[in-house]
Amino acid sequence: MAVTVVTGAVKTKRGATLGYLLPALLLIALFFIVPVLMLLMRSVLEPEVGLQNYKALLGSTTYLRVFLNTFLVAGVVTLVSIVVGYPVAWLLAIMPQKWSRIVLAIIILSMWTNLLARTYAWMVLLQRTGVINKTLMGLGLIDTPLALVNNLVGVTIGMTYIMLPFVILPLMGVIRTIDPAILRAAALCGAGKMQCFLRVLLPLSLPGIAAGALMVFVMSLGYFVTPALLGGTSNMMLAELVAQFVQSLVNWGMGGAAALVLLVVTLALYAVQLRYFNPARGT
Amino acid sequence: MLLDFDKLGGVRTLLIALVALVCLFLILPIVFIAALSFGSSQWLIFPPPSWTFKWYQDLFADPRWLYSALTSLKIAAIVTVLSVVIGFLAALGLDRGRFAGRDLLRALFLTPMILPVVVLAVALYALFLKLGLAGTTIAFVIAHLLIALPFSIISIGNALEGFDRSIEDAAILCGANPWEARLRVTVPAISHGIFGAAVFSFLASWDEVVLAIFMASPTLQTLPVKIWTTLRQDLTPVIAAASTLLIAFTILLMIVAALFRKGRKA
Amino acid sequence: MTQPFLSINGIRKNYGNVTAVKNVSMDIAQGEFMTFLGPSGSGKSTTLYILAGFQDPSGGDILLNGQSLLSTPSHKRNIGMVFQRYTLFPHLTVGENVAFPLRIRRRPQAEIAERVKAALKLVRLEGFEDRMPALMSGGQQQRVALARALVYNPPVLLMDEPLSALDKKLREEIQFEIRRIHQETGVTILYVTHDQEEALRLSDRIAVFSQGEIDQIGTGPELYSNPATRFVAGFIGDSNFLDATVVTSNAGKAKLALGDGAVVEGVPLHGPSAASSRASLMLRPERLSLSRVSVPSGIAVTVRDITFLGNNVEVSTATPAGVDLAVRLPFGHEAISSLARGEQAWLTFDTASAHAFA
Repeated sequence: MAVTVVTGAVKTKRGATLGYLLPALLLIALFFIVPVLMLLMRSVLEPEVGLQNYKALLGSTTYLRVFLNTFLVAGVVTLVSIVVGYPVAWLLAIMPQKWSRIVLAIIILSMWTNLLARTYAWMVLLQRTGVINKTLMGLGLIDTPLALVNNLVGVTIGMTYIMLPFVILPLMGVIRTIDPAILRAAALCGAGKMQCFLRVLLPLSLPGIAAGALMVFVMSLGYFVTPALLGGTSNMMLAELVAQFVQSLVNWGMGGAAALVLLVVTLALYAVQLRYFNPARGT
Repeated sequence: MLLDFDKLGGVRTLLIALVALVCLFLILPIVFIAALSFGSSQWLIFPPPSWTFKWYQDLFADPRWLYSALTSLKIAAIVTVLSVVIGFLAALGLDRGRFAGRDLLRALFLTPMILPVVVLAVALYALFLKLGLAGTTIAFVIAHLLIALPFSIISIGNALEGFDRSIEDAAILCGANPWEARLRVTVPAISHGIFGAAVFSFLASWDEVVLAIFMASPTLQTLPVKIWTTLRQDLTPVIAAASTLLIAFTILLMIVAALFRKGRKA
Repeated sequence: MTQPFLSINGIRKNYGNVTAVKNVSMDIAQGEFMTFLGPSGSGKSTTLYILAGFQDPSGGDILLNGQSLLSTPSHKRNIGMVFQRYTLFPHLTVGENVAFPLRIRRRPQAEIAERVKAALKLVRLEGFEDRMPALMSGGQQQRVALARALVYNPPVLLMDEPLSALDKKLREEIQFEIRRIHQETGVTILYVTHDQEEALRLSDRIAVFSQGEIDQIGTGPELYSNPATRFVAGFIGDSNFLDATVVTSNAGKAKLALGDGAVVEGVPLHGPSAASSRASLMLRPERLSLSRVSVPSGIAVTVRDITFLGNNVEVSTATPAGVDLAVRLPFGHEAISSLARGEQAWLTFDTASAHAFA
């Protein structure tokens, strides 16, 4: 006979529950929703009422260049993170625990290390007289130092470094939930390694890949620190633009408009993520 | 067979080589910084001509470094306590509540984590300018709390989900009033979630750069702000020394977390 | 009339427009072992939760020694409870778990130590004080839970399917322990289960729940030999049902016409008894006799299968109309020696042991 499982035996008074949520709700409302809305309002109120800030933002090649940079960097970082991260996650999911522990420790150490410390390391490594240029020249691969920093190359390398763990860890979780017996069955059905990979393993891990890619893309779009330090002033990204309008130019109208663009793109992608890859509903 | 480690064949060698490379890519910058912090070259030449503690001496000789570290510690401590308490209550409300829009509310609570920090930073900066709070400890705490709270809600929420509520009911029937039951039974039973919430909240505040840059004033700076402003001037090895100390601190935290997990299993 | 020890008066529970408990009333004597038996969703657990104070009833009252319990919050009801799952506090040792209710009640240290020891002795877990619950078997954990629920001498002990997570052998072992503890302590027990065998084994009386109502309250033998409804008849013991038509009825005894023209007289009839109304005739497999030669009042059947069950043999048969009838006979009974599938047989029964439900 089936076992009856009764959940939520205890009555929960609705008022009491809302009481628990109140502090968090107040914090979010007063210091998140209100200020963000106020900032967005300023984009259509300052310096005068109207859409002139958006016209300026979307009509100028300078700013269009910023949008392009942002999407380009975010796209490349996402692509590289997935292409490199997937095989790592795959092996990590199946390798003996004594080895996977070491790899995981390295991944978590790099993830938990202070962002500025990591970015600083790349600034030093990538500079003209840095180790990477020195090594390449020592090997005779190049004659003059490559420009690896103060441009989008540096930004892409630094951000890939930051995003890789965010791809590897969730992907590892997804691959671990795939039953190895399915792959054994595929092999017995006559599928070769390549077919097994393309027709079974990859499709089964696709939801994880999509979720990871979306997350990295969204995070990259709004990244500030790494582009500001590794990118040059001529290769600005959107987050830097927002900060620059407010900090250096004290132009709250334009700052608000740039923030809105960033916000809309982010929230739209977040909504896609919630709708299709909600971890609460299972991917 | 693609998910059987011993049956991967040639693919395995390829994957292992790639994982080794990625591990090097992830660990080398950290090792490199630690090595350079002891190198004598002002221009961060590698390998360094000789070894020295000079940069650490410089670091400790400048009271602004120590002061900013203490400021970071103070703010992170306050944020951790508030984040765990508010996060526990919110997670409890989300776990126990049966009301429409619960999923939506959970998503709202987690939004500050996924929103571009720079938008939040600029918006809060504007608000605090209006309220006259810019550059105060309160501004720092509120800003950092906003991004620490989602970590608490996730960590404690997961722990609550794995906790059999009948255990709390049992405590109540044993005579404990609801809050007594929660504090004496539920909280110890989900201590791993609370510990996780505390660690992540602390790290979120301690490492926060973007919000801190906007909250800071010339007289009130956290450690990341101090590193940031120094970095924008030059790549002095003093930052390597500071970074190395931060890395050591991270490793210490990882060891504590690992020990805590082991202690729970035993 | 003396006041009942525990009295449940017309308890109702609605969730929105769904009624989980319709109208449950019963009196329970001090020291009685009362089981709520029924399928899932029959309202038995909800009634228990209302007793525990985890849910408020939509109507009705619960009186303990004449005092209403409803306004008392759960933690002040002084009721003991053992849950479906192991609800030991995972961070506390066995000893600390059992001591918990006494610590909450701020009893002196010496008394706590003494009573914890006695409670663990009662459940035969002496010397386990310092164990962590996670390192114990399911059966042991449930016994610790029992000790924790009894250590403060509650007047009433609630048990919500406490054995459902255990395997069959362990379940029987702990059923025996529960009976012993009930006898030793004299505590009043309200026990919820969906397992009729467990209910029969343990209880003084059983309340059979169906669709939010109590169909019948009685001892095991009463429910078995005189079920009030078709549901009770089907739930307690095994039973066959045959469609029948009431010919006449008088003083609770009916004359019934079966589908194939056979007529039986003197069958106890439950429910409205208008002539020519439809009724269900319930026959216990172990009360049926099988004959291999034609019997005038017998039901003609074809043997479908013969299953050896140890001390019994079950013969599956079917009437010409296709109704399955199971017959249970002792192993070695002459009627079934060399009985083969497909053979014709006739079933007879003592009309007093059958029941008809209108």
